[in-house]
Amino acid sequence: MDPVALFTLQLLNALSLSALLFFIALGLTLIFGIMRVINFAHGAIYMLGAYVGVTTQTLTGSFALSLVLAPLAAALLGLAFERSALTRLYAREHSAFLLVTFGLALALTEAIRLAWGPDPRQAELPAALAGIVFVLDEPFPVYRLVLIGAGAAAALALWLLLHRTRLGLLMRAASQNAAMTAALGNDVAAVRAAVFALACGLAALGGALAAPLFTAYIGLGTSVIIDAFVIVMIGGMGSFVGTAVGSLLVGFAQTFGNFYFPELALGATYALMIAVLLLRPGGLFGREE
Amino acid sequence: MSSTMIGRRAALGAGVAVLAAPAVLRRARAQAGPLKLGVPTAITGTWAALGAQVVRTCRLWAKTVNAQGGLLGRQVEFLFEDTQGVPANCLRKAQEMVERDRVNILLGLMASSEALAVMPKLAEWNALFISSVNGAGSITAEHWVPNAVRANISGPMGARALALHLRDSPQTDYFCLSLDYAWGRSSVETFEGLLRGIGKRSIGSVFAPVGTRDYSTYIARIRQANPQALYIALTGDDGTAFLRQAAQFRLFERMPIVTETVDMLFTRPAGEAAIGLVGGSRYSFAYDIPANAAFVQRFRAEYNELPDTYDGEQWQALDVLMAAARRANSTETAALVAAMRDLELSSVKGPLRIRACDGQAEQQGFVVRVARKEGFPHPVPEVIRTYPAAEVTPACRSATFA
Amino acid sequence: MTPAAPRAVLAAIAVLAALGFVLPGYAVTLLTEAIILALFALSLDLLVGHARLVSFGHAGPWGFGAYVAAGLLLVLQLPLPVAALGAALATALVAVPVGWLCVRTTGVAFAMLSLAFAQLGYAVVFKWSAVTGGSDGLPGVPRGGGPLGLDWLATREGFHVLAALALAGAYLIARGFTVSPLGRVAAAVRENEARAQALGYDPRRTRLAVFVLSYGLAGLAGGLYAGFARYVSPELFFWTVSGHVLVMVILGGAGTLVGPMIGAMALFFLEHQLSGLTESWGLALGIVFILVVIFAPRGLMGWIEDALRRGRRASRADP
Repeated sequence: MDPVALFTLQLLNALSLSALLFFIALGLTLIFGIMRVINFAHGAIYMLGAYVGVTTQTLTGSFALSLVLAPLAAALLGLAFERSALTRLYAREHSAFLLVTFGLALALTEAIRLAWGPDPRQAELPAALAGIVFVLDEPFPVYRLVLIGAGAAAALALWLLLHRTRLGLLMRAASQNAAMTAALGNDVAAVRAAVFALACGLAALGGALAAPLFTAYIGLGTSVIIDAFVIVMIGGMGSFVGTAVGSLLVGFAQTFGNFYFPELALGATYALMIAVLLLRPGGLFGREE
Repeated sequence: MSSTMIGRRAALGAGVAVLAAPAVLRRARAQAGPLKLGVPTAITGTWAALGAQVVRTCRLWAKTVNAQGGLLGRQVEFLFEDTQGVPANCLRKAQEMVERDRVNILLGLMASSEALAVMPKLAEWNALFISSVNGAGSITAEHWVPNAVRANISGPMGARALALHLRDSPQTDYFCLSLDYAWGRSSVETFEGLLRGIGKRSIGSVFAPVGTRDYSTYIARIRQANPQALYIALTGDDGTAFLRQAAQFRLFERMPIVTETVDMLFTRPAGEAAIGLVGGSRYSFAYDIPANAAFVQRFRAEYNELPDTYDGEQWQALDVLMAAARRANSTETAALVAAMRDLELSSVKGPLRIRACDGQAEQQGFVVRVARKEGFPHPVPEVIRTYPAAEVTPACRSATFA
Repeated sequence: MTPAAPRAVLAAIAVLAALGFVLPGYAVTLLTEAIILALFALSLDLLVGHARLVSFGHAGPWGFGAYVAAGLLLVLQLPLPVAALGAALATALVAVPVGWLCVRTTGVAFAMLSLAFAQLGYAVVFKWSAVTGGSDGLPGVPRGGGPLGLDWLATREGFHVLAALALAGAYLIARGFTVSPLGRVAAAVRENEARAQALGYDPRRTRLAVFVLSYGLAGLAGGLYAGFARYVSPELFFWTVSGHVLVMVILGGAGTLVGPMIGAMALFFLEHQLSGLTESWGLALGIVFILVVIFAPRGLMGWIEDALRRGRRASRADP
């Protein structure tokens, strides 16, 4: 293969992987930014998104509808969980949050297995997205270009939300200083609920987008959650820009690293995280806690 | 149970008695009741879909055998426990079955690592283990123990059948892709050795880390190496993810893809992407002999589904147990182990013989191709070649072919 | 914690040890495993509870200790107690450089650094198959007794007593550390790092001391586990193990030393019993976690203390 074509192909591969990682990491970082906690159930929510997406598509035949219903279902679940369980824990130590989201991850994974059974579920891409384009004479799936576009669109939409809306303003304020934001008469509880629901929706959207590549199966959540942790830590907990950069770094490191140094791939991401955290404990774009 | 022990127990008070009493009751029941078979398998976790095959086939077998009056006149009862495919859990559950429930026959272990964890304990437990799933070559080589038999086709045996088939194919330059763990590495190693044996070569191999979901960078690497054919040792979710992505990159149009094992579990979710895939097969519903046709029919009547790889393998393992019990006229461990030596029988995959030297069941090797077939909603494998046992079974206590 | 606690804890451990001679065999084996997990959770509580360093990589020292002990048992054929102690020392030794890097940070960064080191351990064990057996692990680890009648330690009852002794010893060490001058400094650093620093203490070095002790005890637990299971595999290093032991500590009540031991045993038996009862044990367990967090804010230990206090009050009120 022509080296320029190979490089271009790998560039696109890296971008599409980064886009997929971005959806799940973004939710984690949003939750951390405003609540200062790690959501262990995020991988299970991502998996739920894949299952709901596939089932929606199987029943209605519409891929587009699956991209609406999956995040909607997850956001509603997230909202219910935040209102019923998490809201009692904000005054307490972080470890409580850790245990409760660990519990949600366990229960949700098992609930999915009960509802859908142990066999993987899949649906085919609509014809319009299943095609290929030729990049320098090399076939490249249209759907991966769609993923790159979706990642970019999500980044833009989130940026607009954070910087052009009142909710975004409150989110940023609450992540700087929740007590002060509340003292100024703002409903921080509502902001938290909205953020948690939004984060769950983003993870589920990521799951629904990933399903055509990976199918929906038990264990989908476990496979991705550690990558998402790494991204959020490298980028800086709670930093939107950092998460985008972290997703790109990990996406590129995995795509090019696995190509040139496949033997080192298993430990490479962790080595990268160790290096970043030792040099900048708050992550590349984060504040030190 | 000695009276002094009961005396001591009484002295230690109510809490202990509560813990111990059910065990006494259970033990009393175990003497007279049905024959209990222990199945510590992966009911939840990443292997759950494979575990589900083992469980449903055991249930069907129990139903069938019990309707015919049981095994040696005793009703058969399976004890299922969830190990999640984790060796530590498997060890604990198996031990409890053996010591608490007086089980002496273990079946359906999922991961090879689970089997390897349990096997050194078998002598101490006076228990027998019949493998139906575990593929690692070492189970019937350096780690073999006399109380273990392998009814299923091992990883090296599957690779061998495939290599024999490829001997007649026009492609000579292969590239190998697998995940970076023992099964994948040993499969690729075996395959590369077999390629050399048939005058072909491997022009490169790559091992993706366990947990890899995005295969695009490996697909690019394969494209760059530009082999005439691709060998993959991937199964389950990994196999599905790779096949779907390979099809999206139109890799099949460039080169044929062959795989060590074809399971519907991973070809079915791959959908159209699996069509044309050729591979070894441990069991296929499409193998056309009367015994298998009867099994497939019974299975479909019960579950309204096709039996997959480990349904067939589990059924065959249970047939091995039945033949050994009849030969020994006993279900005691020592009698069964003795009866397993050079035991010959016929099951859903045709004739097999358990050889005495390492417990491996010598049996036919199969090569299948995934194709679209009338009457099935998804592409299914069809048997394209069978090889006699002598050609696909490695030498005694060996995982490789000289 | 009340000052009378240590004696009560040792008495409870003695009862656990004695149960090894009374219960049926399989129950003894279960209890032995629970004791080893209690030791594992106890070691993590030093970091999480006493230094408020929430480690998310405690599978690292656990797996490392297990592999070291497996090596000592397999290759050098050392007696079991020696192998377990060797595992503890080797793990503590490795914890010095690893800890030196990790304790530069606190909070989430610390959690992720400890995770990264454990995962690196996983990668090394996975890749270095010539020595570690790769993903197949090392089966058939012997449980060597040794001279001086130590052979008895290799039996089921003997091993059970050994595990109980190790737990008692580890508890005394951990408890001794928390009330020692260095332990008090660690507590001061936890509560207010700036003030402790102003008083002339080096927070980083203090944290390192806790780290090394915690890792050493986790290595001991891992070493015992290798002798217990007679099998080691890379899963011992995997992050889900770290998550699991962290749940044990939080469930039991971090910072109490006793709570995490109770949490470990409670979770172990709960999982074991539930998974025997229903396939959906994960669902039940998840719901239990959520309910415990909401209704027992200080973990099982806090709940037990409250119950005891209520009991005392009730008995006083009774004529």
